[in-house]
Amino acid sequence: MSEPQSEKPLLLKMRGITKRFPGVVALQGVSLSLRAGEVLALMGENGAGKSTLMKILGGVQPPDEGEIEIDGKPVTFGGVKDSKASGIALIHQELMLAPNLDITSNIFLGNEGAKGGLFGPLNRPKMNARAAELIARVGLKMPVTTPVSRLTAGQMQMVEIAKALSVQARIIIMDEPTSSLASAESEQLFRIIRQLKSEGIGIIYISHRMQEVMDLSDRISVLRDGRYVGDLTRAEATHDKVVALMVGRELSNQYFPQKRERTSTEVMLEVNDLLVPGTPARASFTARKGEILGFAGLIGAGRTELMEAIFGVTPALSGHMKLDGKDYKPEQPRDAIEAGVYLAPEDRKRHGLVLPMSVAQNTSLPNVSSYSALGWLNRKTESEVAEEGVKRMRTKTPSIKQAVVNLSGGNQQKVVLAKWLAMQPKILILDEPTRGIDVGAKAEIYRHMADLADQGITILMVSSDMEETIGMSDRVVVMHERKLKGILERNELTQLAIADLMTGNPEAKGSLSPKANGESNVALS
Amino acid sequence: MLAALVLMCIALFISNSDFLGASNIVNTTRQVSMLGIFAIGIAFVIITGGIDLSIGSVVGLTGVIIARLSSTQTGGLGYPLWVGITVALLCAVIVGVLQGLLITRLKLQPFIVTLGGMLLLRGVSQTIVEGGVISMGDSPLLNLSSGGLLHLGRDPLLGWPTVIFAGVAALGAYVLHYTVLGRYIYAIGGNRDAARYSGINVNRVELLTYVISAGTAGIAGVCYAAYIGQMSQQVGVAYELYAIAAAVLGGCSLRGGEGTIFGILIGASMMRVIDNGINMFQVQYTDPDGIRRIWRLNPNWNWIIVGAVILVAVILDQVVHMVQAARRLKEAGAPKPAVGPPGNGSSPPVAAKSPAA
Repeated sequence: MSEPQSEKPLLLKMRGITKRFPGVVALQGVSLSLRAGEVLALMGENGAGKSTLMKILGGVQPPDEGEIEIDGKPVTFGGVKDSKASGIALIHQELMLAPNLDITSNIFLGNEGAKGGLFGPLNRPKMNARAAELIARVGLKMPVTTPVSRLTAGQMQMVEIAKALSVQARIIIMDEPTSSLASAESEQLFRIIRQLKSEGIGIIYISHRMQEVMDLSDRISVLRDGRYVGDLTRAEATHDKVVALMVGRELSNQYFPQKRERTSTEVMLEVNDLLVPGTPARASFTARKGEILGFAGLIGAGRTELMEAIFGVTPALSGHMKLDGKDYKPEQPRDAIEAGVYLAPEDRKRHGLVLPMSVAQNTSLPNVSSYSALGWLNRKTESEVAEEGVKRMRTKTPSIKQAVVNLSGGNQQKVVLAKWLAMQPKILILDEPTRGIDVGAKAEIYRHMADLADQGITILMVSSDMEETIGMSDRVVVMHERKLKGILERNELTQLAIADLMTGNPEAKGSLSPKANGESNVALS
Repeated sequence: MLAALVLMCIALFISNSDFLGASNIVNTTRQVSMLGIFAIGIAFVIITGGIDLSIGSVVGLTGVIIARLSSTQTGGLGYPLWVGITVALLCAVIVGVLQGLLITRLKLQPFIVTLGGMLLLRGVSQTIVEGGVISMGDSPLLNLSSGGLLHLGRDPLLGWPTVIFAGVAALGAYVLHYTVLGRYIYAIGGNRDAARYSGINVNRVELLTYVISAGTAGIAGVCYAAYIGQMSQQVGVAYELYAIAAAVLGGCSLRGGEGTIFGILIGASMMRVIDNGINMFQVQYTDPDGIRRIWRLNPNWNWIIVGAVILVAVILDQVVHMVQAARRLKEAGAPKPAVGPPGNGSSPPVAAKSPAA
């Protein structure tokens, strides 16, 4: 359909890029190339190193090792400015626009073209005229003096692209550009990408959405665990091949506790047609007593939002839930806690713990009123409960008076768990329970989770770690684009089955039929 | 806010025609001007999302340095006036540079750095005047306050402080609204990361705003020295709070990214007109015995009224914002699912014909 890509000039070559962060190697000897007029899709699981690689290319972070060549000439980027000067524009997933400024100001931010440095006067008529040309090129029809805060996510994306065009960028990097777009806006974006391509601009396109990638890209490069694992041309790429490259590691099972057959059929939580704010579809599922129910999906698949609705942080718009046979309708976290539903949030440090406070104070926090009489805090009971929590979880801390900020990630998570265990939970929601925790502590957390399930506590576990999901869950709910895509029973749990569902493969095993979507509590329990 | 200011002035004029009398106008204008000069300076800092609590102390320090160096009275060293003014302004700028460096290079919080600066400089002023008062005597500096253009009888219609204020406001408006620097200041306040990712040297711009803030406080300090005529460590106490209040009344958000020079002008005028109005406001009435009396505001209510006006202003502002946000959310939420063709991310919940179907 177009001329062979190999005849077009090479725009960019990255060779042997390595980047280390304290404790992790984010990138290990990664190479990448891009030709003029080519759309290169960069794929990989969460944490595979895509964003780090693009930050290096955008001059946001310097690489520890490796070379970058543009038009065959080696370059080094001291900062964002250098990268821009080389014709590279990076469009971040969280758009980098100043909402209080208008479209023109945002397009030319950092590149006002005024003589006289900082005190140079802005030539607004000229800037507005150029901005109008640029946004017309990306199909945006509105006054350039509109403040960016009034635009939709899709329109903001167009402003970002116009900004890239304003500096004559020849390489445009888009990090998950469609993650917050409605479908009509996505179509518009694809049209513009094709147009840019025909103008000889090279595009690096990062996305988790397999369909888009298959439609748009000339070539797909895959990263896994910080390493480059392979290239597929459009002709040879299939959904299965890409997924196989993305997840293709051996499953190391040793640190997951032996799964016991949990045969309980007693239903603990029944969720019916729950409409979560910001999601397009209703969710229905049931969780049994003493079961670990995993929730798999890519970041932004809507899992955290669903959990927050169950915990009452953002109450559901409609639908109903039953907890232990009784109606359950949390309007705020307090209601959930009183009903015995507890959440250990994804961002421990922000939502789970009060970092400067001690282990004892954090443990007693949700229940502090029960240790007090007439407002007088009974520190003895508080200490006893905290000591018991430390003992039960085997938390490594010099004393219960230690501030939790000084504990390791694993021990912090144990404090979060101890805090809820002190209150006899019915349901424990664990959002990314082992994120940022080292391997040894992970194994301990896993053992505790299995123990808790054996004691009859229902655990809802959101995890982006495939091994963890398979290793720990009795059943797995898979979400994709804010919808429940399927529920996999224990004997169906494979990486491929989950990856298929979470990237939206139409032929995936375990998919919910539209009928099942309507009568889901029958089909899913 | 402009409407509120005009209304307030009209009400005051009706209650007491002296409000628009020559001497009151001259005095109020001078007060508005002197506050306005450094309120504009602090606006630069506030728009980037920062805060500068030290400017009241800088106002005091400037005056004290001038008095110490140039006064011919007891305690003064008797150097020429220009030496005192130059040294004082230089000190103000240095204060701005040092605070700005601490904030941008060491990543210290502006609140803490300038709080420290505020207390420290107050102490420096006190040390310079040795805890006492240095009079400027009949130094020519006093003409800076009393003199001016377009004389109206004995008083000038446009006092020098007002002329200086006009100059600062014009320059401020030019820089903030018409130059690259101004654009960067708004961008930093609106989205600091976006500014950094756009290749803007955020540190340098922020440093400049603290220098501008301290510099304008220095200029205002010279005016106050001329106006007051005798300098002690008490001059300028709590002025930073007046300036912050003026900026907020004028439409600046302490979260950054919002505010205009014209707004500051209105805000500074509000603050001073309220102050003046509390003295001027009166209601004439006839008591049951048929004797004409005048009811005045209790001067002790001064701070209550000033505080209440600020609170009412920000409450109204916030309510308007919340109503607008709620309306936007409603508009964005309702029609969306119907827009996209089915089979994509936004298909309506009822017809969930996903690819899995």
